Amino acid sequence: MIIILAIDALEYEKVEEFGCNNLKQESYGKTDISEFSQPRTMVLWSSFMTGKNKEKEILAKGDEAMWSTKIELKHAFFSHFKNPVILDLPGFSYDQKVHEQSRQLLKKFFAEENEESKEKIRKQYNQNAFEHHNKIKKEFLAAIGQKHELVLGYFSIADVIGHLNFSNRIMMKMIYKELDEIASLIRQKGKVLVLSDHGMKQLGRFGDHSDYGFWSTNFEASLKKPKITDFYELILKLSKD
Amino acid sequence: MENLKFVMVGHVDHGKSTLIGRLLYDTDSLPDGRIEEIKEICKALGKELEFAYVMDHLQEERDQGITIDTAQIFFRTKKRQYTIIDAPGHVEFVKNMITGASQAEAAILIVDVEEGVKEQTRRHAYILSLLGLEQVIVVMNKMDLVGYKKEKYEGVKKELLKFLESINIKPKHIIPISAKKGDFIARKTSKLSWFKGPCFLEALDDFKTKESPKEKPLRFPVQDIYSFDKRIIAGRVEGGIISSGDRIKVLPSEEETVVKSIEEYMKEGVKKAEAGKSTGIVTEDKVFVDRGFVITHTKDLPIVTDTVKAHVIWMDKKPFDKNERLLFKCATQEVMCSIDKIEKVIDSSTLEVIGKDADTIRNREVADIVIKTQKPVVVENFNKIQELGRFVLQRKDTCAGGIITNINNINKV
Repeated sequence: MIIILAIDALEYEKVEEFGCNNLKQESYGKTDISEFSQPRTMVLWSSFMTGKNKEKEILAKGDEAMWSTKIELKHAFFSHFKNPVILDLPGFSYDQKVHEQSRQLLKKFFAEENEESKEKIRKQYNQNAFEHHNKIKKEFLAAIGQKHELVLGYFSIADVIGHLNFSNRIMMKMIYKELDEIASLIRQKGKVLVLSDHGMKQLGRFGDHSDYGFWSTNFEASLKKPKITDFYELILKLSKD
Repeated sequence: MENLKFVMVGHVDHGKSTLIGRLLYDTDSLPDGRIEEIKEICKALGKELEFAYVMDHLQEERDQGITIDTAQIFFRTKKRQYTIIDAPGHVEFVKNMITGASQAEAAILIVDVEEGVKEQTRRHAYILSLLGLEQVIVVMNKMDLVGYKKEKYEGVKKELLKFLESINIKPKHIIPISAKKGDFIARKTSKLSWFKGPCFLEALDDFKTKESPKEKPLRFPVQDIYSFDKRIIAGRVEGGIISSGDRIKVLPSEEETVVKSIEEYMKEGVKKAEAGKSTGIVTEDKVFVDRGFVITHTKDLPIVTDTVKAHVIWMDKKPFDKNERLLFKCATQEVMCSIDKIEKVIDSSTLEVIGKDADTIRNREVADIVIKTQKPVVVENFNKIQELGRFVLQRKDTCAGGIITNINNINKV
């Protein structure tokens, strides 16, 4: 089984700082996303699954419409696998309703001036993120327990929580440790790739996307600073081994 | 209120942070607010409260400069206040102990009962023995992971005691606990009903505080000389009491004189200064004295020597080379030295003798050595007066710490 733990905004420096050894696996490093004008979630994951730079195509849809991107199965590497499970991946099986709600709450938070109301929005925003995380985690671990050639789980919690709380070190550490624990649960279950689209850097008390991603494997992959599009071929090669 | 300082040592993953977090929580020593947030996140992630994050909270406070003290954590029981010396690694701990930055009176050795005794457990225990820390409690943590089974506790206890006996550590208590669940920390729980000893906080209250150094012989290492209208000899009283009218001896020059007055900034009529006090004295006669000299009474004197036998622990990645010259720092004394002989090098984890009459000491190795100082130094057996019995060796930075072990074998000058 090939397992992909796709984590939005998993920051290389934080993985190091918090000692997340399960996320680091055998080999790990930063990805090179410098070919993209900005580290955008939908662009990066769409490029990952197709092995092609999709920036121009996605941006042409406009800021709102790009979130409803749905890449056809035949264009993604998943089509080479029997019965793949792809959970919540932007550009493919993304839960638009849940993520749209998060984006709306984020907008509302920044538009709100009253501190008390802001705090209420922040709590609601965090709570939604945790609930969604728990749902995906349950489905992901259940899928790994079944017979599939490929299981991919997309976890957005580090990104969603990070945007509003990145300066809260304890909260971020607890989230990274939670993701590290998920990595520990899957490490023996197959060939595992941990991948992020981009990382996150602190901007005041908030978090903004950093211009590199994170990768790790539990097998020798001989990668130095791979591009996110390089994984298409790597995964296909793995499926043939 | 009485205060007792202790250090917590053990393997990095055996639960030190969780135990400290639990202690602070169970003794109600945490500030309001943040623990609630930790609780909330744990709940949101479907987990039990993780006490180890309390340490992160304390670290955050330190980073923001909120707490005054940068390396110590406080809590109290009904009996006394406790200070946990937070030693992020054993190198820092040894450095702090030897330089006197944070003197522990007791130690807690934590062992994960599921994993058992690890190399780091043995290494840390050896350091406790090296530093002469006699009051030790062992806690067998994570009993919840082994179903609170007595047999598991007994098995690890047997293995550990065998090692501790070989390094002369006799733990006062060996307590099965679960820091995560709170078993036998502040309360005895039925899950460990087979254990008839005290819970952890009761055992802590059993420790004895260190004998006051004012009962010891006078040791007044000189820090500086100030010549104003009077010639003031400044320093910190490390042992005993110095009073005006006392007959004193200045070492290593051995000149004798009488204390004319005790001087304290903006204070008149001070007659004495006790151990722990930084003070100044004026003498009847103008004796030769300099930084690094030690003032004592005329009886019960320390040793003046240029040859010191000691235990050292090497704490630098660059090994010691026998031809190298180092700076020897003991109390306020600083003098160049060479290591004349490396009698024995020991692996601090296995206690295996790695070499005899060796030429080098590597990182984390412990060695019995003979140091030759360029000039005579005033020293003491570590067990008698620690301040003159411990030293560090320095290149650019500290590379080793040690204690003077066998005063009888030292050649007096």
